[in-house]
Amino acid sequence: MPVHLTINDKPVQAHEGQTVLEAACAHGIVIPTLCYHKDLSPVGSCRLCIVEVDKLRGQVAACNLPVAEGLVVHTETPALVQSRRTVLSLLLQNYTDAGYTSHDGHTTEFEHWVRYYEARLPDGTSPAPRYPLDGDPNPFIWVDLNKCILCTRCVRACEEVQGRFVWGVGERGSYTRIIAGADTAMLEARCESCGACAAYCPTGALDHKLSIRQGEADRKVTTTCTYCGVGCQFDLNVKNGKVIRVTSNPNAPVNGMHLCVKGRYGYDFIHHPDRLTGPRVRRYLLEEGEKVLHGPAWDWVETDWNTALDITARKLAATRDHYGGSSIGVLTSAKCLNEENYLMNKLARQVLGTHNIDHCARL
Amino acid sequence: MTNSKIKFKPVSPQIEALVREHGSQPQAVLEMLVELQTQHGILTREMLDDVARLLELPAARVYGIASFYSMLEVAETAQSFAMSKIRVCDGPVCWLCGGDVTSIGDAVRAEHPDWKVERTSCLGLCDRAPAVLVDNEQAGPVLAEKVSAILAGENVKSIDYSLPRPGEVRVTLAHAGKVDPDSLESALSVGAYQGLQAALKRTYEEVISEVENSNLNGRGGAGFPAGRKWRFVAAAARTPKFVVCNADESEPLIFKDRVLIDTNPHQILEGMAIAAYAVGASSGYIYIRGEYVSQAQRLERAIEQAERSGWLGENIAGSSFSFQVHIHRGAGAYICGEETALLESLEGKRGEPRVRPPYPPTSGYRNLPTLVNNVESFAAVPHILQRGANWYKNLSDNSAGGTKLYMLLGHVNRPGLFEAPFGLTLRQIINDFGGGLRPGSKFHFALCGGAAGTIVDESLLDTPIDYASAGKGISLGAGAFLVCDERVSPVAMLRELMHFFAVESCGKCTPCREGTRRAYDLLVCLAEGGGRPGDLEELARLASVMQAASFCGLGQSVHLPVTSALRHFENEFAAGIRS
Ligand SMILES: Cc1cc2nc3c(=O)[nH]c(=O)nc-3n(C[C@H](O)[C@H](O)[C@H](O)COP(=O)(O)O)c2cc1C
Ligand code: SF4
Ligand code: SF4
Ligand code: SF4
Ligand code: FES
Repeated sequence: MPVHLTINDKPVQAHEGQTVLEAACAHGIVIPTLCYHKDLSPVGSCRLCIVEVDKLRGQVAACNLPVAEGLVVHTETPALVQSRRTVLSLLLQNYTDAGYTSHDGHTTEFEHWVRYYEARLPDGTSPAPRYPLDGDPNPFIWVDLNKCILCTRCVRACEEVQGRFVWGVGERGSYTRIIAGADTAMLEARCESCGACAAYCPTGALDHKLSIRQGEADRKVTTTCTYCGVGCQFDLNVKNGKVIRVTSNPNAPVNGMHLCVKGRYGYDFIHHPDRLTGPRVRRYLLEEGEKVLHGPAWDWVETDWNTALDITARKLAATRDHYGGSSIGVLTSAKCLNEENYLMNKLARQVLGTHNIDHCARL
Repeated sequence: MTNSKIKFKPVSPQIEALVREHGSQPQAVLEMLVELQTQHGILTREMLDDVARLLELPAARVYGIASFYSMLEVAETAQSFAMSKIRVCDGPVCWLCGGDVTSIGDAVRAEHPDWKVERTSCLGLCDRAPAVLVDNEQAGPVLAEKVSAILAGENVKSIDYSLPRPGEVRVTLAHAGKVDPDSLESALSVGAYQGLQAALKRTYEEVISEVENSNLNGRGGAGFPAGRKWRFVAAAARTPKFVVCNADESEPLIFKDRVLIDTNPHQILEGMAIAAYAVGASSGYIYIRGEYVSQAQRLERAIEQAERSGWLGENIAGSSFSFQVHIHRGAGAYICGEETALLESLEGKRGEPRVRPPYPPTSGYRNLPTLVNNVESFAAVPHILQRGANWYKNLSDNSAGGTKLYMLLGHVNRPGLFEAPFGLTLRQIINDFGGGLRPGSKFHFALCGGAAGTIVDESLLDTPIDYASAGKGISLGAGAFLVCDERVSPVAMLRELMHFFAVESCGKCTPCREGTRRAYDLLVCLAEGGGRPGDLEELARLASVMQAASFCGLGQSVHLPVTSALRHFENEFAAGIRS
C-alpha cells in the first residue's frame, strides 16, 4: 500500500510499514542519526533524528515514527537545529578523545554531526576521562568508553548480527555505561572477537586494536575473504603497500557489515615472512632422481606452476595406475570456492577414481 | 586452543533451587534478584552469572537489571551480612524538613558502626519527613539528634487520617481509620465489594459507560479519562488481557497511594476487579514500589482474604467471572511509574520506557492488551458503581468528576492529606485546609503537582486548579502542594528536584540522561552564587530541548519546574551569577 507524505515541502511516496526516516532516506533527504543503523532494530534513544510533524506535539524521532497518509514533516527547522546542537553538545560533555588516530583518517559519524551542527562544549567545561583508555584485554577489540555516547549499536550488533549477547547496558541515569557480561572482560562474556560491535560503533569507542595508531590508508581494496567458502567481502585498507586494517563494506552482497574474527583480524599472514607466494617441490622430484629423505635432494625448491602441476599429475597418475584409485585420498580446503570444491570432487571421483574425498570444514 | 580466561564453574545449588521455585521464568528475574539480595544482603557477579546461565539470559542483561534498580546492590565479592541498612530519604520535602544523610549517618554510626547508611530518592513518606527506612521499616520524622529513638523502634507509626478536615468531601478516604485494613469482615461491614456486585449484574458495556459518565480522570498525574481507556482495552481484539494497578508512587511529594493501601486495601482490589470485568481481563498485577514493603504485605493479605471469601479468584460471587491478582514488587526506580517502563519492569527487564505507539491498551504486558490505572483511580471505581456516575460526577463542579486526594506539605500549620473536589485554589488549599501559613512564615513559592510540577509565586494563588490549569501555569499533577516561606530559595529547591531527575532518569535518551545532569551542575553553582553569565539561558535551553526531544514523560516534564521557576523568580536565579 503506497502512503503519501510531505517531507520539507516535497511530496514523498512511501510504503506502509516504513518509518519516516526510511522514506526520507529513499528520497535522498538526509536526517542525521546516531543510534540508528539500517541493519539494527531502531531504539530511538539518541534523539538526533528528531523531526517536526504538523499536528504532533514536540519533536519526534523519525527512526521509529511510522509513515502515515498525509503526514507533513519538517526535518531541518531552526528549532530542530537548536535541539540537535544541544543534544550533541550534551554528548560532547562525556566524550574525551585522547588524540590517538584510529579510524583511517575519516571522521566518525559522531564527529561528522558535531561539526555539521557546530556543537561545542559549554564554556569552561572540559570532560576528564572516566574510563581506562584501553579498557579490555581482548586482543582484537579496542575499548575506550571515554568516547562512548551510549547509542547501544554495539549491544544490538552483538545480539542481532553476531548472536553473541556480549554487551549490555548497566547502571542508569548519567551513570549509564556499556558493560560486557556481568561487568567482566569481553572474552569472559563469551565474545568471539568478530568485531561487529566495533564496525557498528559510530564514535570509535570500540575499534580495531591492531589498527590503532596505524594511521591513514592511502587506498582501499575491496576483496573477497580467502578463509572460507562463504565469500565475505570487505575492504583492505592499504598504506604503503601494507594492509593496516580491514573495514566492513556495507555493500558486500553476502555478508554486509558482518565478518568473523579471521576475516576481520586474521590478515597478518599477508605480510608474514613465512608466507609461501609460489609453488615449491622437493629437489629430487625436479631432477627426477631417486627419493632421498634427507640431504640436498630433500630440499624445497621454488618453481613455476606448470612444473609443479605436471609433477603432481604424473605422481597421482602413477599411484592410481599402480595401486588403484582408492589408494588416494583428497582433502579440500575451506579456502577454496564452492566451484573449486566441486571440481575437486570431479577430479577425485572421475579422474583419480577415488571416493576418499573430504573437506576441512567437516572436521 | 583453550582460553584460560573462561573457567567452568558449576552453578550454586541454592540459586538453582531459587530459579526452579520461580518456574525458571526469565520474567521473574527481578524477583529472584530481590530474593537473593534479601538472603545475602548483596549480589555478586557470580550470583548474577549463575542466574543468567540458569535462565539462559545473557549475563549482561542480568547485570543490567541488577545495576538499574537502586535497591539492588552488586559487589565484587560476597560480604558478611549481619548488619542493617538505613536508607535516608534525600527528597525535597525531607531536605526542607532538615533531613540530611550526613548527620543522620553519623548519628547512626555512632551507635552501630557496622550499619550501612545510604542516601535514597524520595521514599513516599513526605508526610513524615524527614524519613528513613530501617531495613524495610518505614520511619519518620527522624532528625539526627533523635536517631536513637528511631533505632529503638519509635516513630514508626503512620499518620492517622481518620478525622476529616472541615470542607473535606471523602469518598476513597471515607473509611480511613474507621475500618481495620487487615480485616475483610471490617471492610465488608462498610460496604466493600458491593460495587463489584453491582457491576456483575450489568453488562461490561454498561459498566464502562458508567465510568465514562462519571468523568473519572486518571489520578496518576496525566488525567486521561478512565472510561475512554477502558473502552480501548475492551475493544482490543487479542486475549488474554491484563489489568495493572500502578502503585509505583515514587515522585517526590506524592504519598496518597500508600495511605489508600494502608487504610483500605480492599477498595483498590475491588476497583481492579470491576475494571477486569469491564475490559475482559482475568488476571491483574499490582506493581508496587520496592520500598513499600509493609504495604505490599498488606495487599497480599487482602488478596488472600478476598480469594478465600470468593471476592477474587475463580467464579467471583458465584458468577462466571474469574480474576486473579498478583503483587509485583519493584526495586527502586521512579521511572517504573511511567506505564511502559512499568510493563518492561513487570516483564523482568530494565525499566526503560517503550516506543509508543503501540499504547498499552492494545499492546502492553507481554504485548497483550493491558489497562494501566493508578491506585487512586481504581479506589474511586467501587463508589461510582455503587452510587452512580451522576452522584460521583457532581461531587465536583468541574470538567473532572469526583474528588481528589490532595497532599499539602511545607510551611503550613496543618500539612497532610485530604480529599476534596477539583477546582480549589492554592489559597483555599493553604488557608481553608492547611490552617494557613505557619506563624512567622510569609508565602514565597509553592511547588504544585509534584516534583514534575510547577513552581509558582503568589500571582497564581487564586487560580482554580484542575487538570487543565497547567496551561495557566499551575499544575495539579498527582495532587501535591509544597508551600515554602521566604527562607527557602527556589533555586535551591530546583537544584534538589534536578538531583532527583538526574538520579532517576533511566539513561536511555540523550536529552534527559545528559540534560538533567548538566542542569543539576548549573543549579549547584547558581544556588551557591557561583553561576556564570549565560547559565540561565543554558538552563532554559536545556529545559526546552528536554521537553521537546526527550523519549518519555520523565524528560519531557522536567521543563515544568524549570521554566516556571525561571519565569517567577528570575531575579533570584540571576542573583546566583557571580558578578
Ligand atoms: C516519569 C513518570 C512517572 C510516573 N509515575 C507514576 C506513578 O508513580 N503512579 C502512577 O499511577 N502513574 C505514574 N505515571 C503515569 C503513568 O504513566 C500512567 O499514566 C498512569 O499510571 C495511568 O493511570 P491513570 O490513568 O489512572 O492515572 C508516571 C508517568 C511518568 C512519565
Ligand atoms: S567482537 Fe563480536 S562477539 Fe565480541 S562483543 Fe563484539 S560483536 Fe560481540
Ligand atoms: S561503544 Fe560505541 S556502539 Fe557501543 S554504545 Fe558506545 S558509542 Fe555506541
Ligand atoms: S526521558 Fe529518556 S532518559 Fe529520561 S526517563 Fe524517559 S527514556 Fe529515560
Ligand atoms: S537515530 Fe533516531 S533517535 Fe537515534
